[in-house]
Amino acid sequence: MIVFEEELKRFQPIPEVSQAEEAIYSNDLRDISDILTQVTTELKNANSDAQLGGIIRR
Amino acid sequence: MAINRPVLCPNCGAQVKKTGYCSSCYMPIDVLRKAYNTSDYHYNIGLDKAIARDLSGAIESLNMSLRYNKKNVMSRNLLGLIYYEMGEVVMALSHWVMSVNYQNNDNLAEKYLKLLRKDATLLDSVDQIAKKFNMALGYAGSADYDLAILQIKTVLSANPHFVKGYLLLALLYIQVNNYEKARTTLRRVLKIDKANPIAIHYLHEMGDTDENIIQMRKESVENDGLLEDAYAEEVSVAEANAKPVSDSPIKRLVGVIEDRYRKTTVKTGEFGEMRFAHYSGIYVLVGLVLGVLLLFFVVVPAQKRNLRKENINLTKEYSEEISAKNAEIAALGEEIESLQNQLEEILYSHDNADNPLPDYSDLEHGLSDEDIDMIIQFE
Repeated sequence: MIVFEEELKRFQPIPEVSQAEEAIYSNDLRDISDILTQVTTELKNANSDAQLGGIIRR
Repeated sequence: MAINRPVLCPNCGAQVKKTGYCSSCYMPIDVLRKAYNTSDYHYNIGLDKAIARDLSGAIESLNMSLRYNKKNVMSRNLLGLIYYEMGEVVMALSHWVMSVNYQNNDNLAEKYLKLLRKDATLLDSVDQIAKKFNMALGYAGSADYDLAILQIKTVLSANPHFVKGYLLLALLYIQVNNYEKARTTLRRVLKIDKANPIAIHYLHEMGDTDENIIQMRKESVENDGLLEDAYAEEVSVAEANAKPVSDSPIKRLVGVIEDRYRKTTVKTGEFGEMRFAHYSGIYVLVGLVLGVLLLFFVVVPAQKRNLRKENINLTKEYSEEISAKNAEIAALGEEIESLQNQLEEILYSHDNADNPLPDYSDLEHGLSDEDIDMIIQFE
């Protein structure tokens, strides 16, 4: 059974030319390398924090 | 002596350490290579689907490819091309711009962008189309179905490959119970995007089987008149053949009552209502006139021709019979004449005989002497 209101929600407004920039940014998704970069950055920060903690303890 | 070339990181281009990690971004190279391979694998699937005109499936695969490697220029370019084919030019532009951003040399996207830049009116018309589509979406949301249909039709006239527009138009036609038009609209979608899941979902809901849908893909969409009809046809017309399946008996009953009402009533938007009953007499009269004309111009001449042929055949037959009878009559007349002549000759010879033959009537009593004499004399 097609419920018009529910189906209509599938249709999003399409970007106008003036909104192309927004469309470009919204299409810039996160890939594996982004995730890995984030993980390594977090690890680096965690390591440096641990080292810093060791120095302070000493 | 073999020269050991330094391995470069595919992510940042820096040298990779012996440990297998990039010296600059600290990425594990093996993981990155696997990710890039998977990205290429999904790109190949996307390409196959695009070749088979399963554009929705191709978009899905290419998006997956970009999730593994967003710098996969081939995937970006193909995705842009598919969006362009489906009438979403801004989306196409955004993917091509990003593609050029990642690789500005020897990139197909550059060519596409150049072509778009050359056509000055294109961007303007794309902007107008987007505005009109968004307006139609607004009308649909506020239940102004006629206006929404009109607006979306102008969008589709300007951009006949706009799949989203066709899907919205089909949904609007379903909402106003014009299932035939909805089917025609969805057929156009299937011509552009063979396995569009929304189009197939709508067709299934309207009671179409998979066989029907396969058949639909083969049918031509040229001259289907979808974007050509007048405002009067933009109205909701109840269709007896295909109704969506109702859930409960009460809904079914309400559906039947609504159908009966709609069968005799046609909404004409701002111009009030029009009843079919008023026109039924005219339809009957037109039918009768056509029937009579058919009788006079087709049936009667054919019958006349047949009768004329029969008449000619009968005349021929009778004239042959008459000539045969005449010949027979003539032959019989001649026979009669000859017999009469013979009779006359016999009578004549009998009358002229001098001595009549002796009377043999009394032979049982024996001949008289006179009679014997006479016989002798006669001999």
